[in-house]
Amino acid sequence: MSDQQLRNLIRMINQISINNLHQGDENQAAEVVATHVKKFWARSMKQQIIDYAESDGTELSTVSRLAVKQLAVPQQA
Amino acid sequence: MLQYFEPNQSSLNPNIDYGTPPGTSETLVSLSIDGTTISVPGGTSVLRAAALAGINIPRLCASDNLEAFGSCRMCAVEVEGRRGYPASCTTPVTEGMAVTTQNGKLAKLRRNIMELYISDHPLDCLTCPANGNCELQDVAGAVGLREVRYGFEGKNHLDAEVDDSNPYFSFDPSKCIVCSRCVRACEEVQGTFALTIDGRGFDSSVSAGQNDPFMDSECVSCGACVQACPTSTLMEKSVIDAGQPEHSVVTTCAYCGVGCSFKAEMKGDQLVRMVPYKGGQANHGHSCVKGRFAFGYATHKDRISEPMIRESINDPWQVVSWDEAIAFSAKKLKDTQSRYGRESIGGITSSRCTNEETYLVQKLIRAAFGNNNTDTCARVCHSPTGFGLKTTLGESAGTQTFDSVLKADTIVVIGANPTDAHPVFASQMRRRLRQGAKLIVIDPRRIDLLKTPHGTEGIHLPLRPGTNVAMVNAMAHVIVTEGLQDQAFIESRCEPKPFNQWREFIAEERNSPEAMEAVTGVSAELVRQAARAYGEAGNGAIYYGLGVTEHSQGSTMVMGIANLAMATGNIGREGVGVNPLRGQNNVQGSCDMGSFPHELPGYQHVGDPAVRARFQDDWGVAIDDEPGLRIPNMFDAAIAGSFKAMYVQGEDIAQSDPNTQHVEAALSALDCLIVQDIFLNETAKYAHVLLPGSTFLEKNGTFTNAERRINRVRKVMAPVAGLEDWEVTMALSNALGYPMNYKHPSEIMDEIARLTPTFTGVSYDKLEKLGSIQWPCNEKHPDGTPTMHALDFPIGKGRFAVTEYVASEEKTNRRFPLLLTTGRILSQYNVGAQTRRTENSHWHHEDVLDIHPSDAELRGIREGDWLGISSRVGQTVLRARISDRMLPGVVYTTFHHPGSGANVVTTDSSDWATNCPEYKVTAVQVEKVSQPSAWQRHFQQFDQRQHGLLEPAASQTEPSGVSARK
Repeated sequence: MSDQQLRNLIRMINQISINNLHQGDENQAAEVVATHVKKFWARSMKQQIIDYAESDGTELSTVSRLAVKQLAVPQQA
Repeated sequence: MLQYFEPNQSSLNPNIDYGTPPGTSETLVSLSIDGTTISVPGGTSVLRAAALAGINIPRLCASDNLEAFGSCRMCAVEVEGRRGYPASCTTPVTEGMAVTTQNGKLAKLRRNIMELYISDHPLDCLTCPANGNCELQDVAGAVGLREVRYGFEGKNHLDAEVDDSNPYFSFDPSKCIVCSRCVRACEEVQGTFALTIDGRGFDSSVSAGQNDPFMDSECVSCGACVQACPTSTLMEKSVIDAGQPEHSVVTTCAYCGVGCSFKAEMKGDQLVRMVPYKGGQANHGHSCVKGRFAFGYATHKDRISEPMIRESINDPWQVVSWDEAIAFSAKKLKDTQSRYGRESIGGITSSRCTNEETYLVQKLIRAAFGNNNTDTCARVCHSPTGFGLKTTLGESAGTQTFDSVLKADTIVVIGANPTDAHPVFASQMRRRLRQGAKLIVIDPRRIDLLKTPHGTEGIHLPLRPGTNVAMVNAMAHVIVTEGLQDQAFIESRCEPKPFNQWREFIAEERNSPEAMEAVTGVSAELVRQAARAYGEAGNGAIYYGLGVTEHSQGSTMVMGIANLAMATGNIGREGVGVNPLRGQNNVQGSCDMGSFPHELPGYQHVGDPAVRARFQDDWGVAIDDEPGLRIPNMFDAAIAGSFKAMYVQGEDIAQSDPNTQHVEAALSALDCLIVQDIFLNETAKYAHVLLPGSTFLEKNGTFTNAERRINRVRKVMAPVAGLEDWEVTMALSNALGYPMNYKHPSEIMDEIARLTPTFTGVSYDKLEKLGSIQWPCNEKHPDGTPTMHALDFPIGKGRFAVTEYVASEEKTNRRFPLLLTTGRILSQYNVGAQTRRTENSHWHHEDVLDIHPSDAELRGIREGDWLGISSRVGQTVLRARISDRMLPGVVYTTFHHPGSGANVVTTDSSDWATNCPEYKVTAVQVEKVSQPSAWQRHFQQFDQRQHGLLEPAASQTEPSGVSARK
């Protein structure tokens, strides 16, 4: 993984979050974001963003962070 | 008695000219013509009624795509009980009418008229290019003209000068009979009004503009006049050179998403001309300069005619056999996977290739590569349409037929430029605008549709690039707060909960036109006017293009458009709807065929176990349940080193994708790039394997146009390198160990029908029978579905979506104070690989930067100056054109020439939902410079070097025992 690739993933998920803020409270918005990412992102992209959230995650918006948390559950199951 | 009431005219023979347009009345009128009784719709002309009865009345100025004119008088008939000899073209049928079309008096009358015509017409039939296909000649024969008593010495036009200025057709006024068909075709069919009859009486002559040469006039070279001409006055130069064609094949144009049907008129395997086919259900016999004339690229010397390979992109190309090229490719792909893993390779399907070819490439990737790393160029154009329409209306497609526009009362065009990018459909739109429909254009640039001759005055909302969602919300706010919504439709057809949420959101004051004025830059009053014009129209129809999708909120905007249509009940009947105008011939098809990494054919998600089970059953192989990489993700992964090999069929990602330098870095990082294309395109310069592609003239298959219409593509000549594109994909699959054994593309379509619920009724047999089919075509809709969502949506009820405006991250500042937006021009197509290799370059030989006079003055820029355009990612240089089509602060260019580097400047900012690049908004600075940019200088060197590497390969093409040099 390159820095640029990660930077793009962070930017992408934060962009998805900001476009779904209206979907209720943060948890509801996070669910929509997680569903979107599950549906459209490749396996490797999901894993990279999960790894980042677990190791650092500072650049993720609140909703993005919550979404990645939801994402991580079925991924590890 | 013969009865003719066929509103769809399916029983008419498209190869017969019935003389005048059909009557539209539902009342049938009976009459007798030469003793034959026939019943036709009221409003039908006697000329047409006779033609329907199989009786041919001679005529020169009449044609069934033009309103009757009554000038040649050749079609005179006798009507019982009436005096004189009325022209049958301008005489409508009446009940009980008895018509005689042939008798001694009529014969004499016609012969006398013809005698006058011929007294001022050259008698060079034997050497005339129209010889064998001349209506004047035919009618002269039919009326039995034997002598011209007036002689040929009198005043005449025989010395009139030929106008050769147009590269595709010549205008020889000495052959003109002033029937006005060309003038009327330019007006009624094309809607340009470039031609007129100049002068009076004997001096009347056809004139382009104000007696300009055709090239200097407003003529757009659509060819309607050439087709209308009954003599050789307006004649294709290709026919003048080659002579009359001897056979023809009906096929589908491979340029834009209109998908016009053409007769490819041939001499052996030489294509002499393309003539728009009247039976074509998308174009009804009309065409544009690209489809009609720009086919020379197919036989251009630059065509790649043999497979080639090389180990490194710095090596010269080696010509090899197909077997060697396929084996080399398969080995590289397998080696890459064994070294870097199953997911380290992928491919891109083409929106220019056929449905069958696209289907096969994604199947190859999913079945033979064993992953879902498939994507298509629709990623960079209409992927937000797929997402947005599926979310709201339940299907990723436009809702109407093109003809539907003829019933629209208000036409809304958003971020599209139909007269340039979808010209044949634009002619339909202009026809409707001339009939009085209102026009609303939402676009930063004043497009030509706004100056439709004899059209109504349109409302132009020249918004700031990147503020579409703010604009559509403001319009919806007006609809909702002024009570313009269609409550009955909303209650019966839409989910209540999402509607109520949306209604509450949209009614908020912050979405009002007044509040959004500061964002969009458009006066609130104008927005209110436009919203009312749409909301109060009986039928409101929305057409949109890439100016909607290619934004960071492309998907949101598509949903906003769907909201607007649902809120006003403008869905589910003719004259209304939500209509994406697709850029390339088969964008709709490539999306339908499962090119996206998350969807199998028919938009069926790979995560759905039931869907996967059906495909696995048919394909005999496990399918990955996770989506694959999209194009921009592939580039990122390539640069990161985890994505190493790629199979690209018929797409030039190096030129068409944004942030060129990023794309070049990604392509350079690949261990193996396999490019299948008709030319050494920009992407191929980074390739290790070059597989010759076949043009649409060289293969069988189908294209699906923007109205979901599946049209047949028929082979008229052999593929230059021996194989059609689907055969190459098949060979690659077999070499990779996944067997494919199709004998004809029809077998691929049968498989598609088996696996795709919206295609179950589609087959080549049915396409032969019906001409074309608009999907869904299945048990419920056996003949296809012209208008979608008539009774319900595929998801049951329509779902409103809350569309919050989020400003683009691509913002202007002091360093980058201008917004660059991009678009297309009529004569060139997309990256220009085809049209640049035709005479179309006469119209547009370089891309220029349009800049507003006040921005230019501020920078001391004059017309023609070299301008450096810098964005946050790159710099390029283009010539300036001063234009007030955009507001100050907005600059505009096209991307048809690779050396222009328009995409060196565009950034990789993209749509939040689909990663569709935000081509339409780039913050830039513009300044005068004296030389090309560093990228352009590098491009020129690289381009020369790569062409140099091709040359030795070309010289190896002489027959030899061993062609490979390894």
